[in-house]
Amino acid sequence: MKSIWENYKTEHAYDELMHSEYQPRPVSYSLCQYLNSLKKTDIDKRKIAAELAIMEMGISFTVYSDEGNIDRAWPFDIIPRIMDAKEWKLIEKGLKQRLTALNCFISDVYSEQAFIKDGKIPSETINSSKNFRKECVGMKPRHNVWANICGTDLVRDKDGIMYVLEDNLRVPSGVSYMLENRVITKRVFPELLQGIDILPIDDYPTQLQDMLSSIAPHQNSKPQIVVLTPGIYNSAYFEHAYLAQQIGAQLVEGGDLVVKDDDCVYMRTIEGLEKVDVIYRRIDDDFLDPEVFRKDSALGVRGLMRAWKAGNVALANAPGAGVADDKVVYAYVPEMIRYYLNEEPILPNVPTYLCSNKEHLDYVLEHLAELVVKPANESGGYGMLVGPHATAKQVEAFRQVIKADPRNYIGQPTLSISTAPTLCKGKLEPRHIDLRPFILQGEHTFVTAGGLTRVALKKGSLVVNSSQGGGSKDTWIINMEGH
Amino acid sequence: MLSRSAERLYWLARYIERTENIAKLVSVYMNLLMDLPKGVEMGWQQLVRINGSEQEFYEKHKIPNERNITRFLLADASYPGSLFSSLSAARENIRTSRELLPDEAWEQVNEMYLFTKGNLDTVSNRRSRVLFLKEILKGCQRFTGLLSGYMSHNHPYRFIRLGRNLERADMTSRILDLASLLLADSRSDELRQYETILWMNILTALNALLMYRQHVRSRVKGDDVLNFLLLDTNLPRSVRCCLMEISDCINQLPNPDALPQRLSELENYVQAIDTHQTTQLQLRAILDDLQNKLGALHGQIADNWFLRAAAE
Repeated sequence: MKSIWENYKTEHAYDELMHSEYQPRPVSYSLCQYLNSLKKTDIDKRKIAAELAIMEMGISFTVYSDEGNIDRAWPFDIIPRIMDAKEWKLIEKGLKQRLTALNCFISDVYSEQAFIKDGKIPSETINSSKNFRKECVGMKPRHNVWANICGTDLVRDKDGIMYVLEDNLRVPSGVSYMLENRVITKRVFPELLQGIDILPIDDYPTQLQDMLSSIAPHQNSKPQIVVLTPGIYNSAYFEHAYLAQQIGAQLVEGGDLVVKDDDCVYMRTIEGLEKVDVIYRRIDDDFLDPEVFRKDSALGVRGLMRAWKAGNVALANAPGAGVADDKVVYAYVPEMIRYYLNEEPILPNVPTYLCSNKEHLDYVLEHLAELVVKPANESGGYGMLVGPHATAKQVEAFRQVIKADPRNYIGQPTLSISTAPTLCKGKLEPRHIDLRPFILQGEHTFVTAGGLTRVALKKGSLVVNSSQGGGSKDTWIINMEGH
Repeated sequence: MLSRSAERLYWLARYIERTENIAKLVSVYMNLLMDLPKGVEMGWQQLVRINGSEQEFYEKHKIPNERNITRFLLADASYPGSLFSSLSAARENIRTSRELLPDEAWEQVNEMYLFTKGNLDTVSNRRSRVLFLKEILKGCQRFTGLLSGYMSHNHPYRFIRLGRNLERADMTSRILDLASLLLADSRSDELRQYETILWMNILTALNALLMYRQHVRSRVKGDDVLNFLLLDTNLPRSVRCCLMEISDCINQLPNPDALPQRLSELENYVQAIDTHQTTQLQLRAILDDLQNKLGALHGQIADNWFLRAAAE
């Protein structure tokens, strides 16, 4: 019988589970032993069971296409990604440090602007940012926290070091898939989970609810919390509905809310209008309030910004928080940590060349074929150039795009991001992965144990986004002490 | 509770109930046909007739035979009254109301939908159709049962009961319609001879045979059956019982306004129906009228709780 590990190549990148073809790392020892005890047909059966569970649980995401919107089943790889709790503790600390500094920065940008005045960042960088909202100047959200929910993307390079790739501070998604992945793993490998000390992740909804309660404008009674969704055609609708259900909140659409003359937000209920205290909004700033932002938005609520500025409703994340979710501002985060917290950054940034800087721009244009170049304000992996994977023609076309709007582009070295064994046609093959932990900040700060591991299912591909052929894995943080 | 959510739960319940009723109706009809001797003419087209869908059916099919009728009623995604369409609509409504219901409710409806979608081709064959319908009936019962056992009996639950009972009352009246249609159509002595079998199947369609026997304690007779299915106060699928359930929900929901009054008028109307004094033709007129009144009740419920928000 051929081994499912046959020809498992680990030399091109750091592999999270394997030292080499037949040599597991200590954290993945139990898993590998277990996998080796299964017959190939058994593994296929587990895979089919997982797919069935996903169908029945209705875990889906929406893909937009010319033929209309298709609800696709969530692509899931049954082989978990594993990390030692000891390493994780440090990453967790680093993530808390980073979000704390980011929130200090956002507060500062909308008040004193000391970071700019002290020459730490050029004022044009802030003023030219699409996500800097002048309407937010002077606001003081509760606990001085603007980004309450953050999804930070981490990748491990060949050197084994975890880097922060980006901070998602607008409406990060994926946490529901993280939670559902664990549910599926429990169904598919119940006997395996019994013997391993894996940190639980299912307290996230409780933590989210606590955090949202902690930012309510009035702390005297039980706050009315709602999740604001753009509606069923949004690609993350599944997650909006899932989270609302998990935290016992109402799932509302713009049309369900109304702001009255008293600058309070109400929802339309069977008993008439009911006041809303906290809105976990999953709508971008642009569409939030047609009175202030895009006039043609049919998704938002007229007057919402008025209500928020009057202090009558809390919005998570706060409008304007996206100013720190800009790939140019990203380059300054290590400096923010030193400036606001007087600490050294625990998690390093990926070296970043800012095309707004003449020297950096020249370097980027010279080394286009080796670099990854990204627009400053896009998400979902769109509009970027991966130099080593692009044709000469694509590189030249991108050169013109950068020259036309240098402020909007950054360059980074192409990382050889880490891999993990992934089931491909009955065999295990290394596939590139990243990790998105979720951090909550209100009165307290909380980090999920692990996060969502996304995997590029296509051989050699570095793009992990589900809209572009990515899948996901359950993520195990294993306590190795005493084992 | 959001007005929009109330509306979605109400429709969710209506569509699940409709799914169950179509499944029940088709399976009982198959049974009835197997009981009746060969010579007795009884066509499948009656099933389309009671739903008022004859025109739609004949636009798609020429012959009202078993194969065409069952495909149309069970599997046709382009006919909004089919079982598959009802179940799809139920799924869409629950997909957008998951935050109000236990997890299992969504999974149950989703599983049923996936099962139906994967087995649409099996409904043409009688044997596999029987299995298919059985699975659907089980699934609907499981859904109702788990809501009753897992869900708080709060406002959202009341809107579900409201939708379920309105749909149920409507279907009971249509099944009675079917019975009178069959009897009026085929006046041959031969069918008369089998009238008892017909009424027994009608009772079975509404899960009422056992209860009828215990309650009426005489042989199965048309007038008594009608009376029982319209007016019994304990049988969950009698029209009167459905109205009592609706009334109970309405009185516990906020701001029912004129609805309790409307409902007691409707209850009085039903109680005044005298099945012993009516001819079959009169009965059909009464049932038609009852269906219109139930339609009007739906409109009043929607005006009161679903549309109110838009008017503000």
